[in-house]
Amino acid sequence: MIAAKNLNKSFGGVRAVQNVTLEVPEGSIFALIGPNGAGKSTLLNLLSGIYQPDSGDLVLNGETLIGMPAHRRVRLGIARTFQKIRLFKQLSLLENVRAGFHIHQDEPFWQCVLGGTRGRFDEEALALLDFVGLAAHAQERAGALPYGQQRMLEIARALATRPKLFMLDEPAAGLNASEVEFLLNRLIKAKARGITLLLVEHNMDLVMNVAQRVFVMDHGEALFEGSPRDVQANPRVIEAYLGGEIAA
Amino acid sequence: MTDLAALIVQQTINGVYLGCLYVMVALGLTLIYGVLNQINFAHADFVTVGAYAAFFTVTRFATRVLGLPDTGGYLLSIVVALGVGALLGLAVNAAVFAPLRKGDELRPLIATIGVSVLLENGQLALFGPIPYQFDSPFSRETIRIGRIFFSEQSLLVVAVSAASIAALYAFMRFTFLGKALRAVAQDRETAGLMGINPNLLIALTIVIASALAGMGGALLGPVLVLTPFAGATVIVKAFAIVIIGGFGNMQGTILAGVLVGVIEAFTVQYLGSGLIDLVVFVLLLVMLAVRPTGLIAERKEENV
Amino acid sequence: MSRRAAGYFVAAVVVAALPWLITTPYWRGILVLCAMNVMLALSLNLVLGYTGQLNLGQSAFFGIGAYVSTVLVKTYAWNFWLAAIAAVGAAGLLGLALAAFAVRLRGHYLAIASLGFAVITYQVLVNWEKVTEGVRGIYGIRPPVSGTVNLFYVVAGIALLVYLLIDNLVRSPIGDTLRAIREDEVSAASLGIHGALWKAFAFGLGAAIAGLAGCFYPGFVGTLVPDAFNIVESFTMMAMVIVGGMGTLAGPVIGAVVLTFLPELLRGFGELRLMVYGLALTLVVLFMPGGIVQVFIALKRKFTSAR
Repeated sequence: MIAAKNLNKSFGGVRAVQNVTLEVPEGSIFALIGPNGAGKSTLLNLLSGIYQPDSGDLVLNGETLIGMPAHRRVRLGIARTFQKIRLFKQLSLLENVRAGFHIHQDEPFWQCVLGGTRGRFDEEALALLDFVGLAAHAQERAGALPYGQQRMLEIARALATRPKLFMLDEPAAGLNASEVEFLLNRLIKAKARGITLLLVEHNMDLVMNVAQRVFVMDHGEALFEGSPRDVQANPRVIEAYLGGEIAA
Repeated sequence: MTDLAALIVQQTINGVYLGCLYVMVALGLTLIYGVLNQINFAHADFVTVGAYAAFFTVTRFATRVLGLPDTGGYLLSIVVALGVGALLGLAVNAAVFAPLRKGDELRPLIATIGVSVLLENGQLALFGPIPYQFDSPFSRETIRIGRIFFSEQSLLVVAVSAASIAALYAFMRFTFLGKALRAVAQDRETAGLMGINPNLLIALTIVIASALAGMGGALLGPVLVLTPFAGATVIVKAFAIVIIGGFGNMQGTILAGVLVGVIEAFTVQYLGSGLIDLVVFVLLLVMLAVRPTGLIAERKEENV
Repeated sequence: MSRRAAGYFVAAVVVAALPWLITTPYWRGILVLCAMNVMLALSLNLVLGYTGQLNLGQSAFFGIGAYVSTVLVKTYAWNFWLAAIAAVGAAGLLGLALAAFAVRLRGHYLAIASLGFAVITYQVLVNWEKVTEGVRGIYGIRPPVSGTVNLFYVVAGIALLVYLLIDNLVRSPIGDTLRAIREDEVSAASLGIHGALWKAFAFGLGAAIAGLAGCFYPGFVGTLVPDAFNIVESFTMMAMVIVGGMGTLAGPVIGAVVLTFLPELLRGFGELRLMVYGLALTLVVLFMPGGIVQVFIALKRKFTSAR
């Protein structure tokens, strides 16, 4: 799916990502973990195109992504959510998700000017809201939703782009146990639809439950990559990051 | 000294003098932006109000009521204008900035545009559109060094603005409140955690900035064509200076202020006074296109 | 007939009836001014209200429309409507030039860049005397149609078409796109929205509409001086948009009507009446952020929930 080779990114002397090489296999759930400040979010921003790397290679299904802005990558099938939720707060839930269909809009320009274009994706947007359990709130303002539901709305909005690779930045942060369970369930469903998932996550239970492969970062560098079981057993990972948490 | 050299020195001196005036206005804008991340669009109207206050102090009060000499009257008017500016600052903080602290960044800006229109037309109703004649007694005396001339007024302006800048720096560096101000400017959240009351600091910043603007009015008065809309001509230049210097950056603002003053002096000399705004704003747009963070600035990446 | 079509029908009837209800020449003149202001407020609302770009330079495009059309008609003896098309094109192109800055700048920086843009335009109008006659002004400009009532019908008819155009746009997927950019550019980009392109679209179209309004201004007044396009004019437009309710369709229309007629009704108070713009702007931002439209919506909600 997506493959990065020797990616580097620094900010004013701080090397946030150093020589990271990874490949996300198609059709998997791939988790990116590491302590705070390990460079996970920066790496995600490099993959999604918010930042451009200082050096290194980045390829999606054989096509290079270097120099390509974020909005173009979406057309290649990359979607993402944000660690700090970024919704269109003043818009309704339906409008939020509908905006996600932007790249699939095929209304001719003259029809937008002359009128009569309404509702091409309304049904599909509602279906996505239903998928994340928010269909009943379609007309409400996104900013008025409780935190957990805002996360789900952001997921629905990103899914509207019909991604092949969906990257989620700490989707479980701030969710309660039942919300996490629902999220987990939705992620597995999304994978079943053929979407490759990349999770940046702190919630170990979630990672160990759903991920096929886990990539561990520390201080901007790759520390270890393997199955959840291998990660849990790896002494370097335990030392650098998981510590007592995994032993308990 | 050759003619050309004398001319260049003369225009540079004129430019520095003008630049000092602009710095007084622009410094307030940059100070508010640094601490509050807001623009006070009515800032330059405080300059106009300060100028009117100084005018009335000089013509109606200082000599007639207090019996002060010309020079004393003008110096008093500077103090009065400073006080009037400070009061306006208090008022605009209470009416606009304090209630709109939380929320999107554009609302306070738009509200202060309203305040600006209000002040300008209020003054129009009170004072009429005809320019007030405002002389400084110091403008009459000219100092001559070789072939270079300058008025005592320009000396006074440079002295007062240098003293204000020095006082401001001393305040920021050596007093607790000043240090707190810098802390807030650098990082609002951390400063809050340090037990500094941000509301007080913000009010203080706006009052200091507005006092500078008011005082700038008294100093600019003799240069300006004093009408209710005089501030509008200054504010656009002050914005240009603040952007060229880098928003919120004090050193950059001072440098840019003097630079714009000098550019203006040479524009008048070589291109004609009608083109000043054009030259300054083309410079502004070029700056925005090439280096929007200003002359002296570090780059900040948006945190996603 | 759908509710929407009925609304347009009523609006057309009101426009047709207004000159019959208002018969003094002075107030008929105010009607023309009002129709022009509606167009200007609509144009700014597209950029400020729907796309969220704080543009303080809208007066520049109004001025460019006025000057390009007038100079082409007076100096080069063009037909007015051809000149108007050229003027709209010129204003639109300059809108794109400003958009080049808007692509890189946000919030306060854009506000000042656009302000600078307006100042430069104004200065060019003042200084390029060979073409614009500078502060001396251009005199004896005739409107494209004779008679205030006819002029009102033309301008108001075009304003209605502009409203229809923007109405269609904001209901279409383009509306979703512009609103997304207004709300959050980073997440808009994460959905594949090319922010720069759509901002340029909004700026260009907004500028073109302001330029169109500008084509009718000189003929209405009869003279053309740069002062009519001072930056204060931008603030007036902004007051109309904000007081009416930005980011809504009806808001700018209501704002333009209120802020055109209110100062006229306050003429008895002399210069104080001009304070209305400032006062209205400040008070609305402080106490009624949604503008007049918001009050209507709130009332409607109260009414329906009470039943």
